[in-house]
Amino acid sequence: MSPSSSNDDARSRLAAIVESSDDAIVGKTLDGVVTDWNRGAESLFGYRADEIIGQPITLIVPPDRRAEHVDILERIRNGERIDHFVTQRNRKDGSIIDVSVTISPIYDADGRLRGASKVARDLTERQEAQQRMQELQAELIHVSRFTALGEMASTLAHELNQPLTAIASYLKGAGRLLDAGEPSGIGMARDAIERAAQQALRAGQIIRRLREFVSRGEGERQAENLAKLIEEACALALVGARQSGVQVSMAFESTSTHVLADKIQIQQVLLNLVRNAIEAMQEVDRRDLALSTRRVDSDTVRIDVADSGPGISPEIAGQLFQPFITTKQAGMGVGLSICRTIVEAHGGRIWVDPNPGGGVIFHVTLKTIDIGELVHG
Amino acid sequence: MDNSAVVHLIDDDEAVRQALAFLLTTAGHAVRVHDSAESFLQIAHAAQPGCIVSDVRMPGLDGIGLLRKLKEIGITLPVVIMTGHADVPLAVEAMKAGAVDFIEKPFDDEVLLSAIRLALSRHGETGQRDAEQARIRARIDALSERERQVLDGLVAGHPNKTIAYDLALSPRTVEVHRANVMIKMGASSLSDLVRMALTAKLQHQ
Repeated sequence: MSPSSSNDDARSRLAAIVESSDDAIVGKTLDGVVTDWNRGAESLFGYRADEIIGQPITLIVPPDRRAEHVDILERIRNGERIDHFVTQRNRKDGSIIDVSVTISPIYDADGRLRGASKVARDLTERQEAQQRMQELQAELIHVSRFTALGEMASTLAHELNQPLTAIASYLKGAGRLLDAGEPSGIGMARDAIERAAQQALRAGQIIRRLREFVSRGEGERQAENLAKLIEEACALALVGARQSGVQVSMAFESTSTHVLADKIQIQQVLLNLVRNAIEAMQEVDRRDLALSTRRVDSDTVRIDVADSGPGISPEIAGQLFQPFITTKQAGMGVGLSICRTIVEAHGGRIWVDPNPGGGVIFHVTLKTIDIGELVHG
Repeated sequence: MDNSAVVHLIDDDEAVRQALAFLLTTAGHAVRVHDSAESFLQIAHAAQPGCIVSDVRMPGLDGIGLLRKLKEIGITLPVVIMTGHADVPLAVEAMKAGAVDFIEKPFDDEVLLSAIRLALSRHGETGQRDAEQARIRARIDALSERERQVLDGLVAGHPNKTIAYDLALSPRTVEVHRANVMIKMGASSLSDLVRMALTAKLQHQ
């Protein structure tokens, strides 16, 4: 076998490899004229080889990427190689695709720079998968919010029925007084109607808090006053807590600390922690729930949710934030894993420690934000 | 009705307490309010005759606990239990612990007033209660065998699916029987139905 024929063999093997690659592999001159176009390029960009060979490569470069393209050609002429550069390209049908490209100079046998090879990989699919993943996660966060509410449904029903009972009773009583037709009864009836109206507003507030919580937050992060955020979450989470004999205390180191947060999501975390604490304390006589905040360094604040419940065994504590681990009979075991997802997405941490006085303390850290920074920066 | 009878109202929610006291006053009842079961128990031995209307869900001693405590210390005042979230197991527990009636918040004034009338009549004379029980028994007797089985399942607190499984029926058939039971019994709600069934059964025993 002559050396030249073995060269031919190697060349045709290479050609076959290039041709069968799923990645688009394109050769072009230093002026940007297409010289080679494999099957991967045909399927990625939609042009057949015979349509585009001899044409300028700019056919697949979107107008707003032309400058970038010129720059790339310039770097190739200087012998540079460009690795995994993420950009966009046009398909024949006009659609835009996200691609990662690697461009290398091509030299001839004499070592002269003759052109460039470009390998392009479709990122659209991968990005779609990533986006879908994020959507699923948002969905799960939303669903778990409903689950938290489902578990609270009985308490909420009780809480709403109290003002409704008062309203019905005031109005029925007022009706009786007016039917009796005694002049002295009119003032009392008027007073009862006013009280009924106040109770209607009380019911409305409960519903409003609920609606805000259930509405799907679209991942909007804003500077939120931490103390206010906690108080609002507790207003909902502590519904019925007094009936369960829970003593609640709150201590904020500062009421002016702000955090950059998706309010609904962080409130969901707090709601979960507070409801868990209340539930845990049903088994014990002393039911103390303490919420506090403390600045731990220049840009981190820690929220502590401490209960006086029976505590958590060390085996469970280690895997507490894993999905589907639960100590509850009817629990799904997703609450705390969702909490961790949310907190970590906010650049914070969540963990649990034994409470020295019995029970546990859940800690959540969040990044603080200087309000002045927002206004001037 | 005994005009000296007093309604002892126990609820931890101040607005509910005031509103119910107002309603009962306009309906001609004398009312004493108490903010907890414990505070009522402190004066229970000196309490004027009449009846008790108590919320079930309260901090400290709850409505069911109150019923047990009253039995323990020998106070025979009849008790109407109010609940904000009626579920069958709770209703059964209340009736077994000796409640005369239990009603679901929010309620029509007539529902409360007739429950109180029933309670006061029980305290005075048992005639009215007997008449009520006879009426309910007559209605239960008018049920078909299947309908009675479905009723038993409901009173035991089982969901439709469980009842269907136990009776080897489709859930849909159970729904139809259940609807018929409600109509034949003249029950306005599931808790109403359970109350009737328990009232009849208690007399039966």
